[in-house]
Amino acid sequence: MSAPMFQARNRVPRIAEAAVERARLTVVPRTPARAARVPFVVLVSLLLVGGVAGLLCFNTSMQQASFTATAMEDQAARLDAKQQSLNMELDALRDPQRVAVRAKRMGMVPPSAPAFIRLSDGTVLGKPTPATPENAIRVLPLPTRKPKNLRPTPVVIEAKPSATDGAASPAGTGKAGTKKSHDRHRQQGSQR
Amino acid sequence: MTQGSRPRPGPPRPGRPQPVQRRRRPRLRSLRGASLVRLRIGFILIAMVVSVFAARLFQLQGVDAQAYVAKARSEGVVTVTLPATRGTIKDRNGVPLAESVDGLMIVADPTMTVKHASGIATIIARRLDVDYFDVLDRLRKPDTHFQYIARRVPSTEAEGIVQAIDAHGWKGIDTRRDPVRTYPAADIAANLVGFMNANGDAGEGAELMFDPMLSGKDGSATYETGGGNRIPLGDNSTVPPKSGHDLELTIDRDVQWYTQRVVRQAVQGSGGSSGAAVVMDTHTGQLLSVADYPTFDANNPGLSSKADLGSRALRDVYEPGSVEKVLTASSLIDAGKVTPDTKITVPAQLPRGSHVIHDYFPHGTLHLTLTGVIAKSSNIGTVLAASQFQHKELYDYLRRFGLGTRTNIGVRGESSGVLNNWRNWSQINQDTIAFGQGLAVNAVQMAAAVNTIANGGVYVSPSLVKGEATTSGGQTVGSDTSKTHRVVSARAAKLTAQMMESVTNPDTGTAAGAAIDGYRVAGKTGTAQRVGKTCRCYDGTFTVSFAGFAPADNPRFLAYVVVQDPKNGGGGGSVGGPAFHKIMSYVLQKYAVPPTGRKAPTPRIEW
Repeated sequence: MSAPMFQARNRVPRIAEAAVERARLTVVPRTPARAARVPFVVLVSLLLVGGVAGLLCFNTSMQQASFTATAMEDQAARLDAKQQSLNMELDALRDPQRVAVRAKRMGMVPPSAPAFIRLSDGTVLGKPTPATPENAIRVLPLPTRKPKNLRPTPVVIEAKPSATDGAASPAGTGKAGTKKSHDRHRQQGSQR
Repeated sequence: MTQGSRPRPGPPRPGRPQPVQRRRRPRLRSLRGASLVRLRIGFILIAMVVSVFAARLFQLQGVDAQAYVAKARSEGVVTVTLPATRGTIKDRNGVPLAESVDGLMIVADPTMTVKHASGIATIIARRLDVDYFDVLDRLRKPDTHFQYIARRVPSTEAEGIVQAIDAHGWKGIDTRRDPVRTYPAADIAANLVGFMNANGDAGEGAELMFDPMLSGKDGSATYETGGGNRIPLGDNSTVPPKSGHDLELTIDRDVQWYTQRVVRQAVQGSGGSSGAAVVMDTHTGQLLSVADYPTFDANNPGLSSKADLGSRALRDVYEPGSVEKVLTASSLIDAGKVTPDTKITVPAQLPRGSHVIHDYFPHGTLHLTLTGVIAKSSNIGTVLAASQFQHKELYDYLRRFGLGTRTNIGVRGESSGVLNNWRNWSQINQDTIAFGQGLAVNAVQMAAAVNTIANGGVYVSPSLVKGEATTSGGQTVGSDTSKTHRVVSARAAKLTAQMMESVTNPDTGTAAGAAIDGYRVAGKTGTAQRVGKTCRCYDGTFTVSFAGFAPADNPRFLAYVVVQDPKNGGGGGSVGGPAFHKIMSYVLQKYAVPPTGRKAPTPRIEW
């Protein structure tokens, strides 16, 4: 660049040399135009610290939310389970078998013939019959029978007709009788 | 920063001597050369490091990729099955008969529990219904890390136990998900509802029949965890589970309970081998109760024998005996062959070909009307009346009554009964079929057939499922799909019902025990010879039954009771009648059906 400029200058006629010399442009040294350094550094570090802190906070809060979510999910599951077990309890209380057993314990029996009162005119429909113990139904199952090998067949011993009508006869039948009744007891016991 | 303090090579300043610049140049060049070298060394270093990274990357991604993926997955990623909730099976009022609740199983690592086994076993045995010594054995089992301690424990209870054990500082007890299927009513309707086996699969009954509908579809959730909590921005994917549909039965739990108890008492009281009872809504065909004895506890199906796990009322077939006479009689009336007052001379016995037909009671020659034949349940009288039918006519009527065809109410293994084609009948076949021998039915089939009389001659197909449901076989069943067709005329049905009233009439009939004070009750007893299991012949045992409906002049419910092989010598009237009476009076009371108030016509049974 400087070479063509130099040539141009040479072509200028040398008039008023001194004035030209005075008016000639010179390159002035560049003044170091520096921005204030402190605010910039402060700004950057603030951004940096702010960003890191913000990220940390965000992360922490997310983590916190996750903890809360887990805890609340646990709680929901627990409450759900509780509701279910309460429902089960309710079902157990409503079980017709339970109600019937309690009713029976109170001495209640189902009526043998239903009868109704029509509220509009007070007529009795059907034949009201008092319920009796015979109307009761068996609510509970019969107790389980013992297995066969635990229920020995009763041993029946025929009392020998004694030859003499003396004291031996009643004694003999008495013995057989006790044996029989003993067996009967065992049999009844096993059926219970 | 360092550049600032160093003199820069700037534009030439005036006044400064040139040589200074010339002197500086070589230094500058050497300086540039040094930084270039440094740069190159830096590049080489970076290249070396990067190529090490690249090599490692290749190793990780290319060579060992699968192994690391698996390792990473096992490390932090958790996949949980989100189990679908199995549909509830409800009765007609929405009371659950089978429901699923959250549950846990308690498992132990015996290597960790062996030290405090007795303490842990005490806590568990005290809170749960498990055997102390059994638990103790499991907690001490050598050479294993896994033992089941208790299964299907409600989760609150299981968590309580684990907390109690933790409180002692004992380790090695843990819980796992184990859905609990409970049957709150235990044995009530167990024959219909079925059960779930130990593996959690449907075992029987509606549970199995409607399994695809009830079970729904399991979902899954995959997420990364750290310390038991989800990592917020980690991998996350959820497939939501699809819950199963509920199933509603037409059964009324209370009626079912009562019926089951009555049947049990009837079977036990008569020394029978088994029994069944069916209660049906006359007009809709909905089954309020299908009771069986013996049956089982759906919560403990393992305690019962395999034969008791289904519904005998639908699976077993038997010869219905005299109850069938009402079908024959109504058909005869419908065909215009007889009226209730038709006079029939009933001899003491009736030879038919090589066979001789007897009545169950010895008698001389009787002069009975058709009503009398039904009231006294005379086989001979029925045969004489039915001989006016061609084979085909009787066969067609019986088919339309639903005999020999499955009811298809949605119970697994339902039998279709036996009604041979009329082309294969001989005269004696028609004679015995007319009074209910030589054909076989299941209890629901027979109840639906007799219900036709109660419903004014229109057969309503019975239903067990309220609304509509699809079975595992793809069949749609339920009360919405119920069909009706006319079998006999309304007049024939009415006249038959009146004849049936004479059965419960204490003066004329065979089943005074079935009568309900204040109500008009129509019914029919049945005492049939049974075919033995081994000899395929009548082995001297009986099937006794009673079918009836009330109020006879405006029927609302039909009840049918069958007891197999009673050993006390009882017949349909003495065994079935009282059981019918109990069931029917209960249903009439529960559903508030008042008596109609009209008086039954006095039956003419003799002439």
